[in-house]
Amino acid sequence: MSNAARQTDEIVIEVGQRHIREVNQDIMAACATGRPIRVVNTLSRHNLGVGLPDNVDITFEGSVGYYCGGLNTGANITIERNCGWAAGEGMAKGHITIGGYAGMSCGAAMIGGTIHVKGDAGPRVGVAMKGGNIVVEGKIGYQSGFMAHAGRIIALGGAGESCADALWQGEVWVAGGIDSLGVDVDVIEPTPEEVAEVDAILDPLGLVDSSRNWRKLVSGQRLWYFESRDASAWLMI
Amino acid sequence: MAHDLSKPYDYPFDVASEDEIRFRDAGAVDGRPAGVPSSYDEGGSTRWTPEAISEVHALAQLGRYQVRGYNTFNKQMPTFDDLTFVPATMTRLPLEGYRESCDTTTVLGGGRGLVERPLELKIPIYIASMSFGALSASAKASLGYGASKVGTMTCTGEGGMLEEEREASQRLLYQMSPARYGVDLDHLRRADALEIVVGQGAKPGTGGLLLGMKVSPRVSEMRTLPEGVDQRSTIRHPDFLGADDLAVKIEELRIATNYQVPIFIKMGATRPRFDVAVAAKAGADVVVVDGAEGGTGASPELLLNHTGIPTMSAIRAAREALDECGMSGKVSLVAAGGIRSGVDAAKCLALGADAVMIGNAAMVALGCNSPRYLEDYQALGTSPGACHHCHTGRCPVGVATQDPDLEARMNPNAGAERVARYLTAMTMEITALAKACGKSSVHNLETEDLRALSFQASAFTGVKMAGIDRAYDW
Ligand code: SF4
Repeated sequence: MSNAARQTDEIVIEVGQRHIREVNQDIMAACATGRPIRVVNTLSRHNLGVGLPDNVDITFEGSVGYYCGGLNTGANITIERNCGWAAGEGMAKGHITIGGYAGMSCGAAMIGGTIHVKGDAGPRVGVAMKGGNIVVEGKIGYQSGFMAHAGRIIALGGAGESCADALWQGEVWVAGGIDSLGVDVDVIEPTPEEVAEVDAILDPLGLVDSSRNWRKLVSGQRLWYFESRDASAWLMI
Repeated sequence: MAHDLSKPYDYPFDVASEDEIRFRDAGAVDGRPAGVPSSYDEGGSTRWTPEAISEVHALAQLGRYQVRGYNTFNKQMPTFDDLTFVPATMTRLPLEGYRESCDTTTVLGGGRGLVERPLELKIPIYIASMSFGALSASAKASLGYGASKVGTMTCTGEGGMLEEEREASQRLLYQMSPARYGVDLDHLRRADALEIVVGQGAKPGTGGLLLGMKVSPRVSEMRTLPEGVDQRSTIRHPDFLGADDLAVKIEELRIATNYQVPIFIKMGATRPRFDVAVAAKAGADVVVVDGAEGGTGASPELLLNHTGIPTMSAIRAAREALDECGMSGKVSLVAAGGIRSGVDAAKCLALGADAVMIGNAAMVALGCNSPRYLEDYQALGTSPGACHHCHTGRCPVGVATQDPDLEARMNPNAGAERVARYLTAMTMEITALAKACGKSSVHNLETEDLRALSFQASAFTGVKMAGIDRAYDW
C-alpha cells in the first residue's frame, strides 16, 4: 500500500531489529487506542501480533515469520505478503487475511474466526483445528486437515497429498485436484444446502463461483473407535 | 578301583531291588516320581514363563496389543529402595531431626530472570499433570484443594482448564499438549505457569489415550471430540517440529502471557543427557523429566513396560546435562515417575532434582486401590492393591472415572484432606532425612548423601556403592 493510501489516524509501528517483546508491547498499547495499526519493516520476524484483542484493525506490511496472529481473540489482521508457520494458531475469534503464501500449519488448532490465504498454503493447514474457517485460494499442502476436530478448510485451488488425514469432525472442501487422500477419509458430493453454507463463508471474501466442482472430505469414522464400546472388553485377559 | 572297568566291583551285600533304588517304596507319591525336578510342575524356561505364554494367548485372541492404566510392570526397573541415605556421623554434623528447622521452599522458573512470577512453592512436591478426563472432576478439585492447603501446585493435564480445578488450586500449571484440547488465551493468562508436553514417562514417543468409556459429554465438549470416541492423541505438536521452532513457540507463549509466568517443558525420560540440554537451549524455565515408572490413565501396555529409562538414571543425566551447559540454577529440574513417598522424593532431590511431581501416589492418597467396594474390583477381575484398570472408566473408588455414580464414591472434601496430609507427611519424611544428613534446606541434599545397595543402581546413577565408597565403574 502506498503512503498516500494510508489512513491518517493510523498508528505506525516499526519492527526492524527491535526486541520482539518491545514490538508487541507497542502493538498492544496501540490496540488500546482503537485506531488502525500498521506494522512496518516486518523483516519476516516471528511472533508478531500474538494474543491480539477484539476490535482491532492491524496490517503487517511485507512478510511475517512464525505464529503471526497466534491466539488471536478478535482482531482483524492483514498480512500483506507471506507468512511463516502457524499463522493464527489457536485463534479463537477474528479474521486474518494473508495476501501471499502461508507456511506450514496455517490455522493450527484454531478454535474460531476465519483465515483467508490468497496464495497457496503449506503442509498441515488447519491441523488439529477445533473450529472456524480457513479459506485458501490456491492449493493446500501435504496432510492438510490432519486430525481437525471441527471447522472447515476450504481450498479453491486443489490439495496436496494425504489430504484430510485422520479427521475428527472437521471438514475439508476442495475445488480442483487432490493429489491423494489421507487415511480414513470419505469423499462426499455436497448437497446444495451445504454448498450454500460454504458460499456464505466465501461471499464476504468475494470468492463465490457457482461453477466449482466441490468435493467435501469428512471422516470415515473408522479411526474413531479403537475396538469395542464395552468397558469389560478392555479388561486384561 | 571304580575306574578299573576290567574288574567290576562287587558290594559286600546284595544289590537292592530296582523299586527300592527308584524310591518306589511305601512312601512313594503316585504320579510324582522322586528325582523329577521341581520344573516338572513349575516349568523352568526363562523365556516361556507363565506370563509370556499368557501374553501370546492374549495377543492370539485379541489381535491387538493390550491396553491398561497405572504404570510399568517391568521387573527389571530399579526401585528407589536400591539407594540408601548415609546421614551425618563423624565427618558431618546432623541437625536435630525432631527440633531444628529445615527449609522446604522451592522456587521454580525464576533462574533466567525472564518472568515476573516465578513459582514459589512451600514444598518441593507438586501434583503431576493428570487430565480431567483421565480423572473425575471431583478428583481434580480435591487435588487442587489439597495442594493449596500445603502451598503447592497442580497441573491441568492435557484436557484443558477445568473451572473446578482453577478455583481449587492456588497455583495451577496449564498444560499444552500436542492435541491442544481446549486451548484458550484467557486460560493461558489465568494459569500460574505453562507446560509444553513433548512426551510422558509412561509412553514416551506416543500421544495420550482416553478410551470412549471416559469421553463423557463434558469431556467431549472440552476437547471438541465426538462423545464416546476413543481419543488417541497426537504426539507431534501441530505448530512446531524441532527445537529451533520450539524456541520460537516459547517466545510466543511468553508474549501471550506478557512474560508473567514460567514455561515448562515436560518430556518422557529417554535420552535426558541431550534432550534436557536441548530443552534448556530452547528457552524452557523448567524441565520436567518423567521416568519410565511414570503412571498413566491408559496406554498400550507394551509402551508402559518397555519404553523409557528409570527415573533415578534420568535425574543424574539431566542434572549433568544442565551442569555441562551452564544452565543449572537458570533452568529448574523437576523429576517424576514412580515416586511413592517422601523417602523416594528425598532421593530424587539428592540425585539432583529441584522438585518432584507425584501422580499415581496422589491418586492413591485420594483412594485408588483402597479396600472398599470389593465386588466392583472383582467385576474388573482385580482386587484392592492390584487394580490398574483406570482405562476402563470403571474405577471402583471414583477417582479415575467419568461415571457420576462412581465419582460420588469419593468424598471430595475428605480426598482433599488426605492429599494435604499425604503431602505434609511426605515433606516431613524429606526433612527428616535432610536433617539427618545435616542439611538446613531440602535443596542441599546431594548425591554424596546417598549410597547404592545394588550394582545396577550405582551404575545407573553414579552413586557410590555402599561400604566400598566407589561408584560402580566400567
Ligand atoms: S482404583 Fe481406580 S484409580 Fe486406582 S487403579 Fe483402579 S481404576 Fe485406577
